[in-house]
Order: sequence, then structure tokens, then C-alpha cells
Amino acid sequence: MDQFNQALINGIMLGGFYAVMVLGFSIIWGVMGVINLAHGELLMVGAYLTWMLNKGWGWEPFAAIIIVAPAMFALGYGLQYVLINRIIERPPLISLLVTFSLSIIIANVVKLIYTATPRSVNTMFDGFWRLGNITIPVTKSVVLVAALLIMAMLHLFLQKTRLGKSIRAAAQNREAARIVGIEINHVYAITFAICVALTGVAGMLISPTQAVFPFMGPPLTLKAFAITALSGLGSIPGALMGGMMLGLVEIFIATYVPGIGTNLGIVASFVILVVVLVTRPQGLFGGLKPVEQAH
Amino acid sequence: MNTPHGQSPLLEGRQVSKNFGGLAALSNVDFAVYPGEVMGLIGPNGSGKTTLFDCLSRVQEVSAGQIFFKGSEITHKKPYQVAHMGLARTFQVIRVYRKLTVWENMLLSPQWGKITPSQLFKPTSEAIKARARELIGFLLLDHVMDLKAGNLSGGQRRLLEIGMALMPDPDLILLDEATSGVNPTLIEEIKDRIRTLNQQQHKTFLLIEHNIHFISDLCSRVFVLNYGEKLAEGTPAELMENEEVIEAYFGA
Amino acid sequence: MGRWTLLLVLLFLLALPLPKFVGPNPKMISNALLFSMTQMFMLITLASNWNLIGGFTGYVDFGHAVFFGLGAYGTGVMMAKAGWPFAPALVIGALVAVIFALLIGSATLRLKGPYFSIAMLGTFVAMREIVRVAKPLTGGGSGLTLPPYLNRPLFYYITLVMAILVIWFIWWLRGTQFGASLIAIREDEVGAEMRGINTTLHKIVAFSLAAFSTGVVGGLWAYQNTFIDPDVVFFESRTVEMVMMTMLGGLGTVAGPVIGAALIYWLRDVVWANFLQFHLIVQGLLLIAIVLFLPEGLMGTLGDRSSTSLGRLWGRYMNASPQTPQEAQP
Repeated sequence: MDQFNQALINGIMLGGFYAVMVLGFSIIWGVMGVINLAHGELLMVGAYLTWMLNKGWGWEPFAAIIIVAPAMFALGYGLQYVLINRIIERPPLISLLVTFSLSIIIANVVKLIYTATPRSVNTMFDGFWRLGNITIPVTKSVVLVAALLIMAMLHLFLQKTRLGKSIRAAAQNREAARIVGIEINHVYAITFAICVALTGVAGMLISPTQAVFPFMGPPLTLKAFAITALSGLGSIPGALMGGMMLGLVEIFIATYVPGIGTNLGIVASFVILVVVLVTRPQGLFGGLKPVEQAH
Repeated sequence: MNTPHGQSPLLEGRQVSKNFGGLAALSNVDFAVYPGEVMGLIGPNGSGKTTLFDCLSRVQEVSAGQIFFKGSEITHKKPYQVAHMGLARTFQVIRVYRKLTVWENMLLSPQWGKITPSQLFKPTSEAIKARARELIGFLLLDHVMDLKAGNLSGGQRRLLEIGMALMPDPDLILLDEATSGVNPTLIEEIKDRIRTLNQQQHKTFLLIEHNIHFISDLCSRVFVLNYGEKLAEGTPAELMENEEVIEAYFGA
Repeated sequence: MGRWTLLLVLLFLLALPLPKFVGPNPKMISNALLFSMTQMFMLITLASNWNLIGGFTGYVDFGHAVFFGLGAYGTGVMMAKAGWPFAPALVIGALVAVIFALLIGSATLRLKGPYFSIAMLGTFVAMREIVRVAKPLTGGGSGLTLPPYLNRPLFYYITLVMAILVIWFIWWLRGTQFGASLIAIREDEVGAEMRGINTTLHKIVAFSLAAFSTGVVGGLWAYQNTFIDPDVVFFESRTVEMVMMTMLGGLGTVAGPVIGAALIYWLRDVVWANFLQFHLIVQGLLLIAIVLFLPEGLMGTLGDRSSTSLGRLWGRYMNASPQTPQEAQP
């Protein structure tokens, strides 16, 4: 029973991170129709920024948000301006190829600068809480709380602000949004920048809990894709549910299947992804856009 | 071209229903096309005509009901399987291979049911080429034979799609809005071609049409759908006088 | 005997005596060059295989290197663990790749467009982890060492013959009804299915053929390299290379992947050989440039003499009269 409870708690903590990690990916997809395969790499850049601040100036990783968020926002705005702008509203494979290339470029630039050595980030929120026989790492619970806070703020932003409403309108109907006077290119640029900032912050959140290295991206991108298949595009409650599902599946496999460890988490998410897509092309809870062949 | 009662239907739908989520696109439609006739399928926009076509040609699964072609059940067959049995169709949104030439488009639509595995790994046979040449002539596409399908006019693309449907020498051809976006001269040509195929080669046609003259000139029998249900069935003349049909079309 | 067959035979005859000139004299051909050529033949084969599913059938496979890895591990495990000789081990490697292609393809090939691409990328990453975890069989992260065998000319000949065979095979397939149907599926799958093409079967056959040939290359590579581990075999960049070479040359053309592979290999070997740490960065930038500015590839751009300016120029250069596509083969 303790083992079960422990797995449940661990799964929820991991799931909270997954939920906040997937949002940038799923909103970009929903609003701009771009499947951003460089998602994991952008997250990795956020994690590296945190590591630099932590190592170089002794910053607390969670305080790095004041640098990471604006820096990543600027990076996202620049990327959108130079590259992503050219692939919006083009066939999905073009955007796949371009963002796939982008992911390789980012990973290798980071490797060139910082080498492939895994880095670790120290935090003062270490140690454990004990609840009976269950141990809860303080860092991970802080990550969970921060993730929930960020999601709540994002939700308020999308529901209450003018800009947020424009973003939602653009996601639902590009042409209509254009007609009612929303400047769609501006919305795209802001959306991409916000999502990259969000992704960078997710990288910041994960940095104290795992090794930071240039090639940590691809599995995260794939998990983001799997969660999006579960949750639908751009939905915050959906992301929370999908993230929790994947987190729980991963932890329970690692707990109950002997001799495997968490490496097979990626296999689990892949199996979920393929099964969901094959049996329900609209995503588990609907909302994934079916891909119509160009003709 | 009398209503061929007593004959068994070529294509038959029994109690066909189709739901999209909670929305019933078709409910319990009973439907039959008899060999040798040209039948019309009409109804206001959104009445379920194309959905019925998609179900009959197996592009979409039915939610309930059964479909029979040439007496055998095809409810769960794949589109290519019913194509092998002699059913061909065109699409409302034209589906030609846009990046290929007219000639290549035609060669890509041979009589698959008769292609053996050994032929599959040989170049296109002379017989197929001869048939393509003949149909291109028949459909007045000679002069655009080497143009890419994407560069043709809307009317020419409709003709090409009809040609591709005819390539396998099917017994039943479903035409989805063969005249939409086509200029009046070409409409007359299409009409003439359908008549020739029906009378000389005894091909059976089922047409979705909005052009009422086209329907009344060609069809011996017309089936009217409204809100996914059968509204009426009869000769074009009868339906012109049917209050319900007029109401459905012009009323609301 | 078509123009193509003639060209292939000519190339083959030209390449055949190369190993005879290997010698110590620096002006002669070095073993390093022979090795280099072997690598290039492998890349040509890989790009051509990828083109079969990505270019002809239109299913852009982002995980095709999984079959390379399976071929390599199938061969490697049989040699290192079971002590088999190379040839039968290679057969096993290729079979593993094909069987896996049949299994995974019957699920993933139902997905359309980007969903297929991502599912295959997932397959690739998942397989790397599975191989890493399956320690008793694969040696896990520490890899497998194969019995060393240094015979550059032999590998040169094998890969040369393989590349020629694959190019010829794809050229031949392109002219058959089967090959034409793959194009139909690429252009409009729903239409193709409605016109009588068993699209599922066609896709799976094309996918498995490509996987088979890629598995063979993987096995050869493993033997030549004598050491395999998950990271060196399941290397993301390998798929990127296949995609990039094919796209540079021209998707869905027979010559495209050959030209693309030769060109990129040459660039890598000659132009940026001294900056290898930038290699993957340059590769990524190049792929973006190709996708954005040359989406039809060299063959496609030069071949289409009616609608691209580069193609018009090329057409004027090749023959004064505008194109007359009389011999329109499907």
C-alpha cells in the first residue's frame, strides 16, 4: 500500500511538470498550426540558463524565472520573426522539417558551448518531507506548486485579457479573427514568444530535479506530443489531465515492472501516443485537428 | 428507361443511418438503384446527399443499416473492394492527382480487380493505354492530355474525374455534382456523354445534382433527401408537383 | 535497355576497378578514400530507401533509422552472441528490420501526415531505449563488439553493388503499376482507394521494402564498424541525413537521392571536414534552407521547366525547344 501511495504521489508530481511543460507545445500547435519539434530543445535552453545563473551567481533556480522568462520570450520573438513566420499556413510537413532541423541546431550549438557533460542545479529546497512511510522530495513538490500556479496564471491571462482573447479567437478561426480586426501576425508573434517563455520556465522547473544536458530534448518533445494527443490542443485542463496520466503511467511502470527504471517512460508514452492516434484520430478527448490530405 | 420494378436492385441501402457525434446526418434511409437507370439524388444543402454517397461507396462507415451491391453485402467492405466489384464515383470536391498530367491520371485508374500480382510489377499494359486514349477522346480532353491536372479548368477537371471513374469499366457510377463550376456548353457535353454511356453501354448512374434541368433531362427516377431522411421518390415530373419537395427547396 | 540502365552500368564499370589502384603512393587511391566511397554508397542506398516511402508514397518517415539500427543489432547480436558468420547474420538483421516494419507499419501507416512522422520518431526513440534496457541480448549501453574484419575493398564492392541494385530497383519500380499506385497514394489517398487501389497493402509493401534494404545497410555498417551501441546506431542525425539528401536531390525522383547523397557527402568530406564540430549545425541550417528555398529539390526544380525560373533556365540550356512531354510514363 505504501508503495502504491508513493507511486501515486510521485506520479502526480511528475504529471504536474508534464502539464506545464506541454502547454507551450500545444498552444503553438493550436493557434499557429505548427508542430514545434524543437520544443524539448527550447526547454533545454531554459534549463541551461537556470544552470548558468545557479552556478555562476548562486541564484536559487526558482528565482531564475525573472531572467529566464523574458530571455526566452525574446528568443521566441526572434525565432518567430526570422523563421517560424515563413512556415505558418504552409503544409504541416514543412513546419515539421524546419522545426526538426531547428532542434538539431539548438542542441548542437549548446553542446558546442557547454559540451555534452550533464550539469546539475542546486536548490535550497532540498530534503524530504515524510508522510508515514512515504517520502516527498521538497524540490519536486515546489515544482508541482509552481506548475499549478503558472497554469492558473496562464488561464487567467487567456480568459481575462484582451490579448489572451485574441489568441483564443485566432486558435478557433483564423479568418474570422482577421475579419474582426485582430492583427493575426502580431498575435502569432506574441503567442510564439509567450509559449517559448513558458517552455523555458518549464526547463527552469525541471533543472533542479534532473541532469541538464544538450540532448535532453527529444524525449520531452515526444512526451509533449503524446500528452497533446491525449488532451487536445491548447486546453489547460486537458493538459493537466493528460500530463497526470502520462506521469502516473510512467511512475507506475517504473515502480511495478522490475528491473526497468524510468528509461522506458518514453516507450510508454510512445505506445499511448500510437494507440490513441490509431483508435481515435481526433485525440482521446477530441480537439485534435484531423489531417486532411492536400489535394 | 422505365422504372425497372421486378428487377433486383444493383445498389441498395437498407435503413442506412449515420451519426456524427450527436448529429444524425442520415436516419433510416431505404434506397435502391436498379440496373440500367439514371437516378437522381437531390435535396437542399446539408440534407445528407454526400454523406449517403460516402456511405454507399464505403468512404465512411455507416452507423447502422446495411448496403448491398449486386446482391452481396458490402456494408463493411473497403472502398477499393467495392471499386473492384464495379462501383466508381466522383467527388464533390474534385479529387484528381493535381501534380500529374491528364494522361498519367487516367493510367492510374485501371481496372484493379483484373490486375494480377504479376501485372502489378510490369509497366502499364497496352490495353490500359488504349482505353485511356479512347476515353480521353470521348471526353474531349485530347488537347489537354499533357497538361497537369492542377492547371485545368474546373469543367475539364470534372470531365477528367468522370474519365477516371470510367477507366475501370464500372457498372455503376456515382457522380457527385458533376456540373458544379462547369460552363453551360460543357454541361451539355457531360449530359450527352452520360446519355450515350447509359443507352449504348447500359451503365447505371446515380447523380447528385443541383441543376434541375440536368436532372429532368437525364433521370428516370429521383430520390429526395431532407434532413437526412427520405422525403419523396418518383419521376422528375411528379416531384415538380410535390408540395413537400417544393417546400423543402423553396420554402424555408 | 534504357538510358538509365546504361548510365548505371557505365558508373558501375567505372567504379569497379578502383580498389586495384590502392597503394602506398599518395597519388594512388588510398584506403581512406575507398572507405569514404563505401560510406557514400551506403548513404546513397539509405537515401534511396527513404525516398521510396517518404518521396514516392508521401509518408514522411522521421524514424527510418530505426530499421538501420535493427539491421545492425540483428546482425551484431547473431555474430557477437551466437557466433554466426557474417552472411547469415546479415540475413537475420534484415529480417528483423522487415518483420518490425510489418508490425509497426500496420499501426503507424494508418496515421496521416505529421501524425505518422511523429509516431515514427517515437518508434525510433523508443527502440533506442528498448535496446538499451535489453542488456542480456544487446549488451545495453556498453554495446557489442563484433569480430573485427578489415577488408576495405570487399566492403567497397558490396556497397557498390548494393547501391546500384537499389537505384535500379527503384527506377524499375517507378515504371510499374505498383510504383504508379504509390504516387497515386501520395497525391490523394482517398481518391486512390476509391479508384481501386488497396492503399494499406501498397503502403506496407513499400515501407517493408525500404526497411529491408535499410536493415541490410545497418548490418553492413555494424560489421564494418565492429562496434555498436544504442547511441551510435540509433543516431537521430542518420534520419536527418536521409531526409536532407532526398530533399536536396528531389523527393520522389529516382536520381534525386543519389545526387543529394553524393553532393552532401562531398560537401561534408571536403568542404567542412575541418570543422566537424559544426557539422550537425551546418546540416540543420542546410535542411532549413532546402525546405524553405528549394522544396522541390534539384531534380524537381530543374525538371519542371514550365513553372520555376531555375527550371526554365535549365530547359533553355538543355534544348532550345520547350518541353514536349510526349513520352509521359506514369
